[in-house]
Amino acid sequence: MDHRKYNIYFHTHTISGIIIAALLYVIFFAGSFSFFKDDIAAWQKGRSEVGHQFDPPYNHLLDSLSQHYNLRGRNFNFYLLRQGQGTYVDITASQDTTISKPKPKPAKEGRKRGRGRSQDDDAAYFRYHFADKTAGDYSDSYDMAEFLYRLHFLAQLNQVGINIGTPFGYLVAGIVAFLFLFALITGLLLHWDKIKSNFFLFRPMSKWKTVWTDMHTVLGVIGFPFQLVFAVTGVVLIVNYVLLVPFANLLYNGDSDKLYESLQYNKTIKVDYTYKPMTGTFDMDAFVGKWQKEWKDAKISRIYIRNYMDESMQVSLEAKPNAETNFAGSGFATVNIASGKVLEQKSPNTDGNYIDGVKSLVYHLHFGDFGGKPLRIVFFLLGLMGCAVIISGIMIWLVARDKVATELRKRRFNFWASNFFLAACLSMLPVTAFTFIMVKMLAHVDQAVIYRTYFYSWLVLGVYLMILRSLPRMNRHTLILSAVLCLGVPIANGISTGLWIWNTWQQGAFDIFFIDALFIVLAGSCAYAFTRVNADAKTFKVLSLREAPEKVLKATVVRE
Amino acid sequence: MPANKKYLTKSPWLRLSKILAGSIGGYAVMMSLHLFFAAFLPKENVVITACFTGYLLWAFLLLYAFIATNVWRVWGLYILLTVVFALPYLLKFNLNHGS
Repeated sequence: MDHRKYNIYFHTHTISGIIIAALLYVIFFAGSFSFFKDDIAAWQKGRSEVGHQFDPPYNHLLDSLSQHYNLRGRNFNFYLLRQGQGTYVDITASQDTTISKPKPKPAKEGRKRGRGRSQDDDAAYFRYHFADKTAGDYSDSYDMAEFLYRLHFLAQLNQVGINIGTPFGYLVAGIVAFLFLFALITGLLLHWDKIKSNFFLFRPMSKWKTVWTDMHTVLGVIGFPFQLVFAVTGVVLIVNYVLLVPFANLLYNGDSDKLYESLQYNKTIKVDYTYKPMTGTFDMDAFVGKWQKEWKDAKISRIYIRNYMDESMQVSLEAKPNAETNFAGSGFATVNIASGKVLEQKSPNTDGNYIDGVKSLVYHLHFGDFGGKPLRIVFFLLGLMGCAVIISGIMIWLVARDKVATELRKRRFNFWASNFFLAACLSMLPVTAFTFIMVKMLAHVDQAVIYRTYFYSWLVLGVYLMILRSLPRMNRHTLILSAVLCLGVPIANGISTGLWIWNTWQQGAFDIFFIDALFIVLAGSCAYAFTRVNADAKTFKVLSLREAPEKVLKATVVRE
Repeated sequence: MPANKKYLTKSPWLRLSKILAGSIGGYAVMMSLHLFFAAFLPKENVVITACFTGYLLWAFLLLYAFIATNVWRVWGLYILLTVVFALPYLLKFNLNHGS
């Protein structure tokens, strides 16, 4: 490779990498834990969802709703939870009194649900749990699973009050994902000539710079396919409007609803209200049950009711095939209830088309939901490997610039930048474990409590680690703190709920068991890494700070 | 060691020009290439395919603006490509009857 290109790859890789390093770490870390979202939710509630089969009690739900609302003429949207243990329910105002025509649905619901919805006073939005037939609003049912999941696309940043017409956090996450894609490509090209010769090259006994470089390149190359997939699908999932808005303008005359419909994101169901009550009754349980039987090996994901109990009433179902039986597909059916006529239908199992194929690729690859728990564990480890690549990248950036020839002022700045990045990154594991403990210890937990606990403890620990002004000490303090706090997670769970790890194992509550076990493994890894650091780490110091030589071990070993 | 400065752009304006050529120009070329395909293929399939090809192509075009020796040639090339690819769309030429 000629020197010019090599140096340009090098420089663009460095710049794009160091800009996104800290945020990308947050995304990778929180995202890795999000592979176990369902398990974390079960763990926090102390209620296992393993092997529970519910017949969703829709009739009961409609019945109890009718005691608070006059349901006639309303539209309902049910967004079912992935494991089928509950649903989000969205009820609009009645067509009868307030609006004459159904309002067009906001484009692409799903991700945007929950926050910042404009609602009529008469409308309602809540989460309903099938097993105990209880409803809670979004903030009450907010848990650590939701928090970490949303943190991995920086949703919390939306609330800092920077108003640019689009959710600020999502935009930042999108830019980070795209720069990540760019850094991946430049990184691969930069390393291209040495890919084969250095594929397994790891020299842990060498000097620190070599260790970090090897870790960065070897893990980076091995994890490249995984990370490339996540960079691309990540951009698609969070800021795809970058593509879709211009396409809607150019190819669909600015009609984005039509674009979304042709991409099979949402169906616009426009049904005129007739003001004639429907004769007869509507047995929703039987209706949904019938279609569920028809679509074996698929799960109903959404249910739309239009003009409830009006003569024009229509119900629309959407279904997704189980990934084991059919990787790509989506199905729907719309039925006129009064006449029982099926207006349109598409089977999730057999009628898959090209668009289903591409979309399934995006979703399944990003969510890792096509191979059960083993695949999620592999993805989790690959995600943490990404964290290791980021940390080692920051370290290379720092030591490469810590030269006697460099001005002291610049070296100071570089040190504080790295100090800040590493403090923010490394404190995430202990802070996460700490918040897991607190949600079990506090009497009342909702969104605000989780926010306060997580972000303030992150701030406090981050500042403390920065004040140490020594990366090796930061590393050791994080390790010991992580070991203790991670071990505290199963203990806090056992004390507060009696669901000790041996109990959950015996009960077969493997989702709860898994989270406890995961944190025990993390605690063990941190403790082991801590002993290794103390025993025989080589010295490491940043010259500019003229401090006594310190011992260090690569911070990221813990994470594997 | 950091990258050798000898090979990097020194003028901040030139650097800005490269960044803009790569991001805005690259985006325009990517968009117009997909419009080109939409003249021959079902447009919804082109749009959904762009989820993968679009971002990858954009990233490579961004990189090319840095690799090329003369950024003004990159501007010229990207504008030319954008116009050429957009021709079928601008002339309302569409082989894909139906949509």
